[in-house]
Amino acid sequence: MAVIEVEKLSKVYGSGEAQVTALDSVNLSIEQGQFVAVMGPSGCGKSTLLHLIGGLDRPTNGTVFIEGADISQMNDKTLTELRRRKMGFIFQFFNLIPVLDAIENTALPLILDGVKPENARARAKEWLARNKLAERGTHRPDELSGGQQQRVAISRAMVSEPIIVLADEPTGNLDSRSGDEIASTLRKVVSEWGRTVLMVTHDPRIAAYADRIIFLKDGRVVDDTLLNGNNGDNARQLKEKVEAL
Amino acid sequence: MSVRHTLLGLLAQKPRYGYELCAGFTALVGGKENWDVKPPQIYTTLARMAESGYVALKYGNGQKSKSEYIITPKGHEELMNWFRDSAVDEPQQDAFYLKLMLSLDLDEVDASRLIIIQRSALYQELHRITEQRQQLDPQAQLSQILLMDKAAMHLEADLRWLDMIESRLDEVKSQPAPKADLRPRGRPPSQKPKG
Repeated sequence: MAVIEVEKLSKVYGSGEAQVTALDSVNLSIEQGQFVAVMGPSGCGKSTLLHLIGGLDRPTNGTVFIEGADISQMNDKTLTELRRRKMGFIFQFFNLIPVLDAIENTALPLILDGVKPENARARAKEWLARNKLAERGTHRPDELSGGQQQRVAISRAMVSEPIIVLADEPTGNLDSRSGDEIASTLRKVVSEWGRTVLMVTHDPRIAAYADRIIFLKDGRVVDDTLLNGNNGDNARQLKEKVEAL
Repeated sequence: MSVRHTLLGLLAQKPRYGYELCAGFTALVGGKENWDVKPPQIYTTLARMAESGYVALKYGNGQKSKSEYIITPKGHEELMNWFRDSAVDEPQQDAFYLKLMLSLDLDEVDASRLIIIQRSALYQELHRITEQRQQLDPQAQLSQILLMDKAAMHLEADLRWLDMIESRLDEVKSQPAPKADLRPRGRPPSQKPKG
């Protein structure tokens, strides 16, 4: 079953003459265990798409299904719970809480969900260790490099054992080496830890870590391409595209 | 052309058997995934170089793979010339550019779709390079990692250029196509020769 399904999804901002169509009747299907990148020029609707899928915003038209459940029908309370349990978020500017250390930042979603502090801290430490931050647990964000902060953010996103991880320009604020590290970690989130990742990026090198790239332009999907698979699959895919010339 | 000079380079290091040259070439380029030169191509190149006097058989035993080759002084000079020449790619000779320009005057091909397909293919290649790079050990295979980085940088540049031409395609279409110089040369056919 597709873990994310989007049908005729539209988002319009403003009204009348000042109206802006950020997304125009988009249809998409993402299977479990895929690493999908969403790319496109500025203003193409990629961040809007991510926010709608993550339940951070409501569509103007159309539906978002997460594991078959229509999230546009959910009330705020149910949606918030679903987000906390099923989804992890990673942002461009890390969004860590400055006064909390790495363990506290990572444990936060569990604490908010009512998990006992000792258990929350233990699970936080496990995820920090997996992200090679075991020795940095008591460090605050201002004592960590950009790459390390983002790895804390990834640990925080993973600690509630989500099925989907949504990343909005996760390497936008990092140098190329740290960026590769983060992209590599997101690859691990899929291939080692078995989740589904949807990542918005404008960086081709980072997008190349994904299995699939969806290209948006003016709120519509203009291309949807698989990056791996054997040469036979790719060749056939390209052939189909060429025939649609 | 680099195949023959690479073989000369390997022989300049020391005399080698045929199978050593095949294996040595593959190792130097970082594996078959980067550059797959088959043994027949290597042996044909060696035969031509022997004819030109650049290499010689130290001794043959009938089997090319088990014959030992050496570089000659003439071959050594050829190798040094190659080292002295600087090698610059010719990015203006670009097959995709030709496709795109031709499509602008052909109704059956849509230039925008061509760009989308090319972008897709470039990303698939970039993905392949990225995966290959991940398999390499920075402690032991740094030179190959750097080759992957070069490939990635060229692909990124190609992608950037693609975005650029895509955003200005309408402008390109609105300008007149480059005119071919069709002026006939020499005497017109109707004129009689003088005298």
